[in-house]
Amino acid sequence: MNTPTEQPLSGAGVLISARGLRKSYGRTEALRGASLDLHEGEILAVTGTSGSGKSTLLHCLSGIVRPDEGAVTYGGEELGLLPEQRLSELRRRDFGVVFQFGQLIPELTALDNVALPLLLAGARRGHAHRTAGEWLERFGVRGQADLRPGGMSGGQSQRVALARALVTGPRAVFADEPTGALDTLAGEQVMTALVHTAREAGTAVLLITHDAQIAAYADREVGLRDGVVHSGPAAVLGQEAARREG
Amino acid sequence: MKADIRIAWILARGSDRREWWRFSLTLLGALLATGFALAAATIAAVRGQVSIPYAHGLLDRPGERAGVVLTLVLLLVPVLGFLGQCARIGAVHRHRRMAGMRLAGASPAQVRRLAAVESAFACLAGSSAGFAAFAVLLAVAGHTPPPVAWAAFVAVVLAVPVVAAPVSVFALRHVVASPLDHVRRTGPDRGRRAALGVVLAAALIAVAGLLLLFPGGKGVTPFALLVLGLVLLTGAGAIWAAGAFAAFVGRRLTLHAKSPAVLIAASRLAHDPWAAARTHAALLLVTVVGVGFLGVRGVLLSALGANGYRPVDLAFYTTGIDLAGAAVLVALTISLCGLAVGTAESLATRRRGLAAQAAAGVPHRVLARAALLETALPLAPALLLAGAGGTVVYLAYATVVGGPVPLLPLVVPVAVYAACLLAAATSLPLLRRVAHPAELRFT
Repeated sequence: MNTPTEQPLSGAGVLISARGLRKSYGRTEALRGASLDLHEGEILAVTGTSGSGKSTLLHCLSGIVRPDEGAVTYGGEELGLLPEQRLSELRRRDFGVVFQFGQLIPELTALDNVALPLLLAGARRGHAHRTAGEWLERFGVRGQADLRPGGMSGGQSQRVALARALVTGPRAVFADEPTGALDTLAGEQVMTALVHTAREAGTAVLLITHDAQIAAYADREVGLRDGVVHSGPAAVLGQEAARREG
Repeated sequence: MKADIRIAWILARGSDRREWWRFSLTLLGALLATGFALAAATIAAVRGQVSIPYAHGLLDRPGERAGVVLTLVLLLVPVLGFLGQCARIGAVHRHRRMAGMRLAGASPAQVRRLAAVESAFACLAGSSAGFAAFAVLLAVAGHTPPPVAWAAFVAVVLAVPVVAAPVSVFALRHVVASPLDHVRRTGPDRGRRAALGVVLAAALIAVAGLLLLFPGGKGVTPFALLVLGLVLLTGAGAIWAAGAFAAFVGRRLTLHAKSPAVLIAASRLAHDPWAAARTHAALLLVTVVGVGFLGVRGVLLSALGANGYRPVDLAFYTTGIDLAGAAVLVALTISLCGLAVGTAESLATRRRGLAAQAAAGVPHRVLARAALLETALPLAPALLLAGAGGTVVYLAYATVVGGPVPLLPLVVPVAVYAACLLAAATSLPLLRRVAHPAELRFT
């Protein structure tokens, strides 16, 4: 763990840029002009209270959800304008996504789950399984390769999900409360594995969390309050807001 | 495509019991469809006047054979309804799986292709099994169909999975599985299909009316068109009535219910009133046909008896009528199976909510009563309307032919209603299993 700064790593180029994002669900405004840059190879924590718009921001940045207004740019392409086919391709090759739980496919073994993005891209099964096995090894769950998600612990499932997110060598991983359903020890193991592997591969990580201890794994931390990104952790923003209101 | 087949195969191998239920019932539906289509092809391949030692000479002449072929083809309608119910088994689970695939990078088209391959697998297994059983029957009967019939057999066996695949994709055309694990449904609004049926029926009745007023076209039978139009109109009206009544009763009873079971059932009906209409659609159509058929049968046999036909002469007619009656019974059985499957699937889909209610202390008998009320409440007015439609059909026939009007058909809607409640009750053992607080740990 370290102390995240408010400034990006020096010299790292912008990988994904979001400007003026607005997104509403019915009458609820989840994002109200959020802007953010994710730099190459950095681990960025986005913190905020429940309902502050953290997950919506992640969904917009990863192309899962299209913003109502504003733009997300990746590699010179605006994600909101890309067809679904191209967005799927990005998720398969350039992005990895990890949620709190439930993203693994119950019918598939851990090995098949990790091999899935490679199989979808047309890789041969033998090659896909070899690569998937190597990634399971890196995350310390090689022994669970033949188990289905129902037969694994929460921590093991999450490590398999991380292996699946990283198996294609993506340039960015989006992790939405990846330790939210885990106990402290399992959470630390998952975060250590994620950070270590991402640094080794030079993969940028956007980490959504409300837990200051998890945010401490990041290089940089920004806060989200009422759908707007502020520099500095959410806790500081909260204290400032309380001071103003008080 | 190769990658899709590979992934579909891996998914199939890892499928749970619910998926295997869907696979098995789809296979059964495909087997039935293949059986009816092969029988129709065999009879259609017979040419000219022949002597066939079955069915009291009903298959000897081309005119009657055409009627038998039409009956067999019409039997495909409830089979398709049954297949539609099977496709809904585990739908929520399947949508979650699709969302997982999309999260891993599968495109919407890839997800649809996977669904198509899954359906095609099941249907190919069903059509192959159907063909094997049919070949054994042919061998036992010692019948050798002409080469043209064999070509038709191959076409049928291949057509079942080939048609199932695009139908499966078509069924998912409005469903865009999102990586966020929810399904966006666009397209036909509530009751639009029933409205389409009403328009189609009205058009048929209008055409029949015009033909009756200005007779001319050779081989066109306005009365048959009128009957078809009436059947369709009543069927569509009954389906609409089921949905509309479910919505109305759901809203009213949610406000005024005094019993917990009624309140639970009413809330469910108010939440998704068209679920009942979807589940009962095939059944309501069969009821219209059943009432109409039984009435026409009574009128026809009375008329023939009055004309002095001897029992041996009547055998030709009774065999044909009984064959049609058997077809209606088969259709009713298939529709009731569809209802049982639909009710069980509805419970399995809501297992978490039911388990939560059980955990909150709702007794099992209240949940069971609520499950039965969900079927009973919207079905009563819809069956009444369906029965009325069938009655109009046979009253029209009785007016043309003359003779006494039978009363037995009026019992049909009551009998169907009782059979529906029994079919819905078959899912109650499943309710006991899913509505268990322990389910909350696993769902």
